[in-house]
Amino acid sequence: MRVIIVVVVALIIVRLAYWAKSRYWHPKEQASPQYSKAMTPWQKKFFTVSVFTRLNTRRFFRDRLAIFFGILFPLIFLFVFGGIYGSSNNNVTIDAGVINRSSSRIASEFISNAKSAKVIKVDKSVTTLMAAENKMIRGQLDATIVLPPSFGVVASHQTYPSGQAEVYYTNNSSQAGQTLVSVLEAEFQGLNAKYVPVTTPFTAVGKELNQKSLTEFDYIFSGLLGFSIIGIGIFGPINVFPELKKQGILRRFHTTPIKVWQYFVSMAASQAIIGLISLAVMFIVAISVFHIKVIGNYAEIAIFLVFGIVMILGIGLAIGGWARNERQAAPLGNIVVFPMMFLSGTFFPRYLMPDWLQHISSYLPLTPIIDGARLLTTGGQSLTQIGSQLGAMAAWLIIIYVIAFRVFRWE
Amino acid sequence: MSKVMSVAVKNLRKHYGDKEAVKGISFEISRGEIFGILGPNGAGKTTTLEMMEAMRSIDSGQVIIEGIDVTTHAEDVKRIIGVQPQSPAFQDKSKLTEIIELFGAAYGERVSPMTLLEEVQLADKAGSYTETLSGGQKQRLSIAAALVHNPKVFFMDEPTTGLDPQARHNLWDLVGQIQKKGVTVIITTHYMDEAELLCDRVAIMDNGEIIALDTPKHLIGSLLKKGFTKQQRVEQANLEDVFINLTGKGLRE
Repeated sequence: MRVIIVVVVALIIVRLAYWAKSRYWHPKEQASPQYSKAMTPWQKKFFTVSVFTRLNTRRFFRDRLAIFFGILFPLIFLFVFGGIYGSSNNNVTIDAGVINRSSSRIASEFISNAKSAKVIKVDKSVTTLMAAENKMIRGQLDATIVLPPSFGVVASHQTYPSGQAEVYYTNNSSQAGQTLVSVLEAEFQGLNAKYVPVTTPFTAVGKELNQKSLTEFDYIFSGLLGFSIIGIGIFGPINVFPELKKQGILRRFHTTPIKVWQYFVSMAASQAIIGLISLAVMFIVAISVFHIKVIGNYAEIAIFLVFGIVMILGIGLAIGGWARNERQAAPLGNIVVFPMMFLSGTFFPRYLMPDWLQHISSYLPLTPIIDGARLLTTGGQSLTQIGSQLGAMAAWLIIIYVIAFRVFRWE
Repeated sequence: MSKVMSVAVKNLRKHYGDKEAVKGISFEISRGEIFGILGPNGAGKTTTLEMMEAMRSIDSGQVIIEGIDVTTHAEDVKRIIGVQPQSPAFQDKSKLTEIIELFGAAYGERVSPMTLLEEVQLADKAGSYTETLSGGQKQRLSIAAALVHNPKVFFMDEPTTGLDPQARHNLWDLVGQIQKKGVTVIITTHYMDEAELLCDRVAIMDNGEIIALDTPKHLIGSLLKKGFTKQQRVEQANLEDVFINLTGKGLRE
């Protein structure tokens, strides 16, 4: 939650600063910058790319519809799928009140142990059974542990301390209550052994493997990253290009010396910036709301995702660049996008598919992106370990861009 | 007028399938001249213009612009020409200054947007988005965008179609200013009054051929010599004069 607030506040500050600058700060235009700085031919070429990139990116953030489809739309899917798959939380915690009526040392030790236990979340504000009961009725507490005054005191006919903790719970929270009882019993076993020697011939011990099992949501999340990349890389260009062609805007650029590669590179750069922001928002939501555990290196993840965006953008550039109008762009876009969207694991994991379909779908361009993103974010792998995904992406990148350059039309 | 050759078109041809759209036309234009290409729809004006702008392949013949062959050095030609399309459109959500910056960048040039916008009287609109502009304002922005790289030859395709009389007069003034800088202007139009007022010489095209090429004055003179008379004696003023006289020459936007 804190992460979201920080990011939102930061965005608001940046926005305000930008607004204030455009409103109150008017830099004097240089006298005659027309031919002020002599640039080498290559500097000129990249100057073209950088200005196109900057203005293109800026336009995106002025366009509410584009922001909706580029950033909010994938988030809606994230919330829907996160709501379905994300709630299966394996780490059960019990909200418990603890009321200590005993003044013994053992009782206070026990309380501090309970507070540090993973399973029990102690509500410190509860001090009386009455207050605890009210909270339990309202569902704010699962159970309440009460240590009676005699707890931990050495009784007159005994040589060791004893006591019985009471666990209170409501009809609805009996499962939590029973769990808490067995947790306490396990805890007391250790305590008992300290005072009364016991032999335990049969025991069981848990061993945690140093491996992370991926949850279904880990698969869904990387799939949604893929979905978002499709939105930015394909749906963006195939919606924009026909309009630019219809109005003659691209044709107008063609009357200037700008080259197709300059146009493509500037598109790729601005879509990569927009895409990274969109995906970062998804990460923030997934981490803060759905508690996804990112164990990968963020720099590697960012590099990988930019690679994915640029590769998928090639498909959008090829379709949008080839199509003369939206009647050509829309159907072709759907033919390419929909099989990829369903077979590459955007909305449901590929391991649920029959083997033959998994085999076929592994050759689609989006598949290595989704697989690689999952391996990097939650699979604990690094860029050097996902060579097969990177290789497949590089091969697709070359194929896609060769096609895109060949079929591009300015009008 | 000092006759330095700016544009030379020699025996230019273009086929579309069986149809010959441009049938071997030739003409020369001097530097600083305003040259009009007139003709009915389908006469081949736009095709001719597009071949000269290196936007369409040339079947045969030659176009030389400021000494550069369009067929072999298309990119070099693009660097010295400015092109004003028939109905200029700009990407939305962009400020006027950004559009100028963008076109400057397309030529690899850092430009001063405000200076160029002042030249076309759009300085007060500098921070607005392009979608808020009127037709005449879009034409003027388009001219500014076509001048970012100080072109030597300026092509205008029917620049005043759809504009109100004030905007047309303003555009004619602008074309005059561009000519004064020594820029060669090539213009196509359907309006004969525009051609007569603006152009130093006009070529009249029909069916892919140039059927007349001279100054407007000479063309009218030779028609009169043939004994042509109008049905009605021409008034000393026309309706447009009345309109401009009543509503003024100031731009309305």
